[in-house]
Amino acid sequence: MIRFHPSAQQLVSFVDGNLSPAVSLMVSAHCDMCSTCQRFVEQETERLAGSLLQDNGFKQVDLKADYSAMIAQITQAPSSVEADTGLNQKEISRKPSSKTEVSKAAIHSIELDGRNFVLPRTLQRYIEKTGGWSSLVGKLWQAPVDLGSQGVANFIYMAKGGSVPEHTHRGTEYTLVINGEFSDGINNYDSGDFIFMDGQNTHTPRSDNAQGCLVFTIVDQPLHFTSGIARLLNPFSHLFFR
Amino acid sequence: MLVGIPLEQSKSTIKPKECAVEMSDYLVEVAQKRCKKSFARVFNYFAPRLRSYALKQMGNEALAMELVQDTMSNVWQKAHLFNAEKGSPSTWIFTIARNIRFDMLRKLQNRKEDVCSDDLWPVLCEQTADLNEAPLDEQVTLEQIGYLFESLPVKQKAVIEAIYIDGKSQQEVADELDIPLGTVKSRTRLALQRLKGMLQSND
Repeated sequence: MIRFHPSAQQLVSFVDGNLSPAVSLMVSAHCDMCSTCQRFVEQETERLAGSLLQDNGFKQVDLKADYSAMIAQITQAPSSVEADTGLNQKEISRKPSSKTEVSKAAIHSIELDGRNFVLPRTLQRYIEKTGGWSSLVGKLWQAPVDLGSQGVANFIYMAKGGSVPEHTHRGTEYTLVINGEFSDGINNYDSGDFIFMDGQNTHTPRSDNAQGCLVFTIVDQPLHFTSGIARLLNPFSHLFFR
Repeated sequence: MLVGIPLEQSKSTIKPKECAVEMSDYLVEVAQKRCKKSFARVFNYFAPRLRSYALKQMGNEALAMELVQDTMSNVWQKAHLFNAEKGSPSTWIFTIARNIRFDMLRKLQNRKEDVCSDDLWPVLCEQTADLNEAPLDEQVTLEQIGYLFESLPVKQKAVIEAIYIDGKSQQEVADELDIPLGTVKSRTRLALQRLKGMLQSND
């Protein structure tokens, strides 16, 4: 059962398009997995759209803008269906757009060690941007996801007994549990849980689940390891979690 | 001045629900018959409202008008994707505008094509985003660090081990190894420089 959700404020900002792209990605992926938040987002979208666009007390002030020219310009363009048809007439044998769609739809899971993990819809597009798995320490695997200028996200897989060294955060860390369960000495988390951590939290994620646990995580600053040999990583954690 | 299709004053007093049904019918006309007159009605209702929303959000007339134009272009070209069973015309048009604004803001911040609105809110999902693959940097793993650590000179290794693994202070290490604090500091610095050099040449 999902126990950890984005805050109502985060969901509202998400609907409004005011969360950062990276955090939007996390919230969107959570909503793919969580029907409660999905409903909230739908209702909020309707409410916001209603208040912004349905306002009947709206007065037509300042019509300096030449809307009729804009209408004329817009309606010159064909519909996207017509545009597609035009393309197909030129290249009858090939339908590039629908072809891409099919091959895209075919990839919706990532694989580790013979196991397939189906990803939430939002994250499926990032499968192609996901690098290979590398071993972090025993029982812990990481596959980086290139988010362009938004930094690096990672899929992290903890096999049974696998654990991320104790760490705190210089910036913020968002984690979404994709499949499995883990605990971090503060709480137990299950598939779909949305976890937010910052400099006030020190934790040691660990999975004792027989099936292990796959999470998707985004950090905006390198982690700061607080104990053990992992402390050696600190001077280099900007290289490690870049 | 608004020229062309005159605004019907009665529009502003009708109830939202009736308005939604009316706009919904116009959108269907646009989708099925490419009816410019129906589009003009949808446009006349929504464009000023969109402009007001856009002005509040972007704080800039030119950007606001760009948002209005892009949004209404999508409404014209993709009216067939509107589904009245899924939501009202205003919800559909709001989500299109919100998505365009999200992408406009990213472009203004000079961000590369990374997270785009279609991934988050597939409102107009017949579009296919281009999937450009970027090479991924090599990762430094704990195992690599451990391996590099082993290759440090014995004296540097002892200092690094005491500080980073046992968590001792530099003064404690100096006392323990019976060497001056300055020596501990310089050994630490040299060791970290060396590790850094090895990591970089590894890249």
